[in-house]
Amino acid sequence: MADELERPGETPEHEDAEAHLPSPTIWPFAFAGAVALILLGLIVNAWATVIGVALAVVFGFLWIRQVTHEVRGEPEPIEAPAPPTVEPEAEEEGPPRYERSKFLEGATIGIGAAIGAIVTLPVLGFAVAPAFVDQDYPEVDLGPLDEYPEGEWLIATFTSIPDDGKISRRTAFVRYNGMQDSVPSFSILSNRCVHLGCPTQPQGPSGETRELEGVPVVLTPTQPSGYGCPCHGGAYDVEGNRTAGPPVRALDRYEYSIVEGRLVLGSPYSVAEVEGEGADAVIVKYSPSDPGVHVDGPEQYLYPYVP
Amino acid sequence: MSNPQERAYFKRYKEDVEREGKPFFPYAMFHDTVMSLVVVCVIVALACVWYFTSGEEAGDAGILGPRYTEEADPGTTSFVPRPDWYFYFLFYLLRIFKWPESVVLGTVGIPTIALILLLVLPFVDRRRERRLVRRPVAVVGALLVIASMGILTYRGATAEESLASEAVEQVDAWVEAQGLSEEGAEGAALFAELGCLNCHTYLDSGASQLGAPDLSEIGATGQTAEEFAAYIANPAEFGNNVMPAYEDQGEEILLLVGTFLEESKGEGGGE
Amino acid sequence: MARAKSKRKQQLEHALLVPVDWLEERSGLVGGLKYFLFRKVPRDTNWFHTLGSATLTAFIVQLVTGVVLAFYYKPSPNEAYASIQYITNDLTLGWLVRGMHRWGASVFIILLFLHMGRVFLFGAYKYPRELNWLLGVLLLVLAMLEGFTGYLLPWDQTAYWATVVGINLNATAPFLGPFLSDFLRGGQEIGTDTLARFYSMHMLLIPGGLIALITLHLYLVIRLGVTSPPWSKEAAGDERKEVSTAKRGLLEPRPRGDGGVATDVRGRPEA
Repeated sequence: MADELERPGETPEHEDAEAHLPSPTIWPFAFAGAVALILLGLIVNAWATVIGVALAVVFGFLWIRQVTHEVRGEPEPIEAPAPPTVEPEAEEEGPPRYERSKFLEGATIGIGAAIGAIVTLPVLGFAVAPAFVDQDYPEVDLGPLDEYPEGEWLIATFTSIPDDGKISRRTAFVRYNGMQDSVPSFSILSNRCVHLGCPTQPQGPSGETRELEGVPVVLTPTQPSGYGCPCHGGAYDVEGNRTAGPPVRALDRYEYSIVEGRLVLGSPYSVAEVEGEGADAVIVKYSPSDPGVHVDGPEQYLYPYVP
Repeated sequence: MSNPQERAYFKRYKEDVEREGKPFFPYAMFHDTVMSLVVVCVIVALACVWYFTSGEEAGDAGILGPRYTEEADPGTTSFVPRPDWYFYFLFYLLRIFKWPESVVLGTVGIPTIALILLLVLPFVDRRRERRLVRRPVAVVGALLVIASMGILTYRGATAEESLASEAVEQVDAWVEAQGLSEEGAEGAALFAELGCLNCHTYLDSGASQLGAPDLSEIGATGQTAEEFAAYIANPAEFGNNVMPAYEDQGEEILLLVGTFLEESKGEGGGE
Repeated sequence: MARAKSKRKQQLEHALLVPVDWLEERSGLVGGLKYFLFRKVPRDTNWFHTLGSATLTAFIVQLVTGVVLAFYYKPSPNEAYASIQYITNDLTLGWLVRGMHRWGASVFIILLFLHMGRVFLFGAYKYPRELNWLLGVLLLVLAMLEGFTGYLLPWDQTAYWATVVGINLNATAPFLGPFLSDFLRGGQEIGTDTLARFYSMHMLLIPGGLIALITLHLYLVIRLGVTSPPWSKEAAGDERKEVSTAKRGLLEPRPRGDGGVATDVRGRPEA
């Protein structure tokens, strides 16, 4: 046997070069469907079996009848006519026509580009969208006003979104400046250095840390002469103005409100420079910017829009 | 784009290799395999040393550093951030550019320029010469780059802070070096905490910013503690418009710092 | 040469070759592998040329250890630190896998720089290998980014603050800087999204890029060949050549005879 099969791909030679094969017919498929129906009916519904048997008999009969046409001398059913030959159109005269191949090339590339866009753009948008959405700054309860003696700086570490847990811990330097126009005045500075975001430290002795009741806030009294950054040598005075190093503006500040005798922290904002001190400080608000971004001076035009 | 000499070189190269080259396997691949084994062993050795010399506590460091530091705390006021060691050169670059207008240079300017130089190298250097003795620009350039990256990385690694948390540790050394009294030592601790080292240098600590002088021997000028205290309270009165005023700290603290400065006369009168 | 093999041995060899031939006929891969293994490289390649494959080995170590670490690491801010502690302290040999990954990163970067320096000093970035150099620079950038994104994953203090600074570095770039840093952070503040983004970049995006570029890099190395050291007396491709008196390493193959063809002093066949 092995000798007869020489190489794959070659059909073995038969003695009978012209084997007679039956003409194509659809009845076997129908018969198979009927058999399947019989088997299905055995599991699902007995009536299906009955119908299946009937169909099998009918289709089987038709199949055998078609296959045995020759033997019984009936003419073969007409086969599908040969496809008509298509004449090339190159001989036509007249205005030049838009060639089919060019149309297909363009259509392929165009559809490909469309698919690429449909897949990529929403995905890119999804990835990039957070950069354009404004940050939601929730209000944080920093405890009762009695915790903030006048003129004393306190390092307040709080969890801004309790549900997020530790990742939302932030620190602010808070000082109660006394009343101004019968409204309590606070200076609240963010501790993030505005050079590159490192956590600044108060330059001065610090006291005992105490936890507040009922709110996730921890206070540490301190007596800073200024604030310093441990990363690249930035330094600020107590109002947050830069005194040395690479920071590009003053420390960011927080808005605040007094609600039922408690200090409530609002949204942060950026500051170019603070004039004056304490309750008399004159502060120009800029929208909250990333560290390293100038908010005034000629360099501000390098950052036309900070999301 | 390529000229006929370049193409001729490559043709010669191919012929030479074909005629006289050695098969990659096993001759060259053997070297590669040995080197790879060395690399893997070094990595495993480093991992072992790192693990067995450190402890489970956060921050418990062995020869190769701790296994991990404390869990991330965005509200900390005592941590000193540092990048991974292979970024130390960039880190130190940022410390060099202290002026706010120049920040962009250090953060993106210089690294971008360096990257562009790397990318255009093959287009700038079109010479075919490969022997080192005939490539002075390349050799000098390479040496300069290696030296500067090395120095920047080293300086980045040893960069110390002038902040309270780190400076306070130096006080004992200062007490010994300058022979400070008890009040002087208290003043020294306050001097460290108040952030004076941000701009002044003192013995081996501190930074030099905005033209602030070194204070190691300031006592040798003969000024008294009270005079120092008055100066620090409001430097503008004495013509210094750069240094901030410290009168908020209170007379007591300023006097202690003044005492410390008065006693800082330098080591035995020498340099 | 070979002794006459027993029929048994011949049949065994035949049988072993059957699957190899099956694969070769259907894919051509075996032929490709043979070409890679037995291609000629210049006779004078030395240990300096092993730095490239050593870098690749370090990268593979990173890939393998990284995949295993990903089985246990949890990329959420509330669980990341604890999972790292668990891997380091409790899992069997977890410390070894984490240690290898962490120190493998440093070794990878060092070898990368050494390899780059070697290529530069050998002048192997010149024609026709300029494209390979460009790919290499891109690989350098991607490798540094890979280190940067990986550094955040343990979510301890060092990780968190180094990442704060790194992202804010981007913010200082003019015009697009703030958008880039917000994109990296997934918002204006570092949050849960930041860790997830960095994890995705570290595991999928950047390694994908690295693998693709390394494949291209290796393809070019195989296609264009490896240069001889520039100080070599018999560097492949050189015009003037002395008769080979260079030392031969222990394992170098003996040079073949010229088979009686007339040759010039270099050994090339006369026209």
